[in-house]
Amino acid sequence: MVVDDDTAISEMIGIILRAEGYEPEFASDGAEAIELFRTMRPDLVLLDLMLPGIDGIQVCSAIRSESGVPIIMLTAKGETADVVQGLESGADDYVVKPFNPKELVARVRTRLRPVLPETAETVAIGDLVIDVQGHEVRRGGEKIALTPLEFQLLLALAVKPQQVFTREMLLEQVWGYHYKADTRLVNVHVQRLRAKVEHDPDNPRIVTTVRGVGYRAGAVS
Amino acid sequence: MRFEWRATWDRLRRFWRTSLRARTVAITLVLSAIAVTAIGAYISSSVRANLFESRKDQVVIETGRAAAAAQRVFDEVGRSGEAQDLESAQRAATEAIRQSVSTAPLVAVLRAPTAGGQAPIENQADFDFDTNLISDQLRAAVLDSGTSVVSWQSVATVTAAGREAPALITGAIFDVQGQDYQLYLVYDLSDVQDTLDFVQRTLLLGGMALVLLIGAVAYLVVRLVVGPVQVAAETSEKLAAGHLEERLPERGDDELATLARSFNRMADSLQRQIRQLADLSRVQQRFVSDVSHELRTPLTTIRLAGEVLYDQRDSFPPATKRTTELLHAQTDRFELLLADLLEMSRYDAGAVQLEVEPTNLVRLVDDSIEAMMPLAAERDTEIRLVAPGGYFEAEVDARRIRRVLQNLLGNAIDHGEGKPIVVYVDSNADAVAIAVRDYGVGLAPADMARVFDRFWRADPSRQRSTGGTGLGLAISQEDAIVHGGELDVWSEPGRGSCFRLTLPRHRGELIGASPLALPPDDVIDLVEEPVI
Repeated sequence: MVVDDDTAISEMIGIILRAEGYEPEFASDGAEAIELFRTMRPDLVLLDLMLPGIDGIQVCSAIRSESGVPIIMLTAKGETADVVQGLESGADDYVVKPFNPKELVARVRTRLRPVLPETAETVAIGDLVIDVQGHEVRRGGEKIALTPLEFQLLLALAVKPQQVFTREMLLEQVWGYHYKADTRLVNVHVQRLRAKVEHDPDNPRIVTTVRGVGYRAGAVS
Repeated sequence: MRFEWRATWDRLRRFWRTSLRARTVAITLVLSAIAVTAIGAYISSSVRANLFESRKDQVVIETGRAAAAAQRVFDEVGRSGEAQDLESAQRAATEAIRQSVSTAPLVAVLRAPTAGGQAPIENQADFDFDTNLISDQLRAAVLDSGTSVVSWQSVATVTAAGREAPALITGAIFDVQGQDYQLYLVYDLSDVQDTLDFVQRTLLLGGMALVLLIGAVAYLVVRLVVGPVQVAAETSEKLAAGHLEERLPERGDDELATLARSFNRMADSLQRQIRQLADLSRVQQRFVSDVSHELRTPLTTIRLAGEVLYDQRDSFPPATKRTTELLHAQTDRFELLLADLLEMSRYDAGAVQLEVEPTNLVRLVDDSIEAMMPLAAERDTEIRLVAPGGYFEAEVDARRIRRVLQNLLGNAIDHGEGKPIVVYVDSNADAVAIAVRDYGVGLAPADMARVFDRFWRADPSRQRSTGGTGLGLAISQEDAIVHGGELDVWSEPGRGSCFRLTLPRHRGELIGASPLALPPDDVIDLVEEPVI
C-alpha cells in the first residue's frame, strides 16, 4: 500500500514496484489510508509523513495499534524531530525523498523477506522464550505481541547471548543496511521493544545496554 | 608564611579593585582623617599658645605688683632709718608679696651677687624653691633690667608626686637700702597643662568620632548610589543570559531612576528586536521546511522516472540514451544542490541541532577515507592516515563530521593532482584536530581568503569529480562552528593545501590551541602504513 498525497509520485512508485512484481494499492490522504488498510490488509505500507487531514504520524500510530505490518516512512525532511517522531509512532524504517528506485526496492524487500538467523526451534532470552518458527514470544504462558521487526531484533540478540551488538551490526542484520545508516533506527526500536518485553523499561534486564558499544541479550533466567 | 601573606595581599587587592564601595569608604576615611588631624593640630596649638600667653601676662603683672609692694615696704623702713626694723620689714615685705599674687607661687628673695658690704637683709627662699631653676640667662636678664621690669622663663619642675610639670619662673629687682635684691617667683602651670590635656583629649575623641561618622555617611551614600548600579549590573547579566523579561525597578525622578528608565527602554527595544528576529527565524525555518517538502516531492518523481529511464538506456537510440544520461547526472546534481542549499539556509535560520554522541574520531576518519577510496582510486591517489592521538571518544555529531571529512577529502582528491593525501588526527587536553593535507596545486593567497565563500570555486575550468555545489566548504565551516570548533586553511601555490578542523573534546567547552600545526609537519617521506 502506498500512501502519498502527490499522485505523480504514487504512480511512479507504483510503476517501480510493479516492475519488481509487487501489487501496490494507493491512498492519497490519511482517512483513506486507514480505510484502505482495513479492507485490503497489505503486506507493507509505504507512508508519506506529510498528508492532508490526518497526518502520517497519526496514520502510522493507527495502523500500528491494530497490526505489526511493516511500515516504511517516506519523508521529505531529514529533520531529526520528524524522523524520530515517525519511528516512535511505529514506523520500521524510513526513506528520505528524493530517493532512488533501487534504494526503495531494497528497503521494501528487506522488510517483506526478513533474513532470520538459522537457529533452533526455540531460543531463550531473560525470562522469555522465542518460538522461531511460530513467530511468537512468550513469558510463561503469556504471549507477547511484537511486530516482525521487533521480533527480528529480539531474536538477533537472543541467538548470540554472549555477543555485544553495536548499533551498526544491528542495522546490518535487522534492517539490511550495508553502509552507515541512521543509528536512531536502532535506538528507537530498542526503546519500543523494551516497552513491550521488560518488566521495568527504565531498568532493562532483557535488552541490556553496553555503554559506548551497543546492546546485548540479558542472561537467561 | 610568606605565601599566605601574598595570598592575603592578592585577596585584598582584588577586593580593592572590585569593590567600589570599599574603595570610596576607605578614601573618604583617609582624607577626612588627614583633614581632621590638621584642624585638630591647629586648634590644639592655638589653644595652648593662648592659655600660656594669658597665664604669662597675668604672672608678669603679678610679679611686678609683688616687687612694687616689697619695694614700698623697704622704702618706708628706709625713711624711718632704723636698721633693727629691717627684719620685721622683711616679714612685712614677704607678706605684701604674698598678698599681691593670686595663686601660690614659690618665692625667693636673693641679694644681687654684684653688691658688696654688709647685707641689710638675709637671702630668703621657700623650702621647695630650687635655686637651680634660676638659669644664668634669667639671672642676667633680671640684673640687667631696671626696677619694675619683669623677666620670665619657662621651666620644668618636679612635683611632689615625682611628675614633671611645666612651670613659669619670673624675676624682678627691687632695692633695699641702696642694694639690689632679686625677687623670684615660680608658678606651677599644672592646671594650665591639665586644661590643655583635657582640650586635646576632647579634640582627639571628637576627631575620631567625626572621622567614623564621615566614613559611615560615605558608606551610606555609596550604598545608595552603588546599590542600584549593582542591581542594574545583575539585571544586565540576566538579560544577557536570555531572561528578556528582566527589568529594573523605577522609583522616583532622580538620576538613578532615569538610568533605570533608560535601561528598561533599552531592554524593551532589545526584547522587541529579538522577538522580531525570532519570528523571522521561525518564518524562515517554516519556509525552509515547506520548500524542502514542495521541491523534494516533484524531484523525487523526476528522479524515480530518470532512474527508470536510465536503467533502460541501452535500449534507446544514441541521442535519447545520451539525453537520459544527462537527465540522470543533472538530476543528481540538482538534488545535491538542493540538499546543500537547504542545509545552508537551515544554518542561516539558526535551526541546526547537533546530535552529539561519543565518537572515536580515528575510526570515523578511517571510515570516511574508506568511503572515498573508489574516487581516490579513480584519480590514482593514495590516502594515508597519520594518527598520533584522537583514539578516545569525543562528543561530536558524527554525521556532520563525516560530511566535513568527505568534503575535504573530495576537494583534496580533486586538487591533489594524484599526489598522496595525508590525513592527520591528533588530540590534546581539550581539543581534537583533523587535518587533510594535499600536495597539489594549492591556492593563491587571494583565493585562500575566499575559499569558504558560498558558490566560490577555485578554478571554474577544473574538472571536478565530486560534483561540488560550491557550498561544501561553507557548510563545513558552519559544521565546525556549530560544534564550537573551527575550520582553517593553509595553502601555497604549487605546494598544496591543508584544511584543519579543530573541535572541542566535550560539547560546549572552549578549544585552546589546536593539537595540530597548520600545516602539520610533513611525514610524507616516513614509511607509513597506507590505509589502502
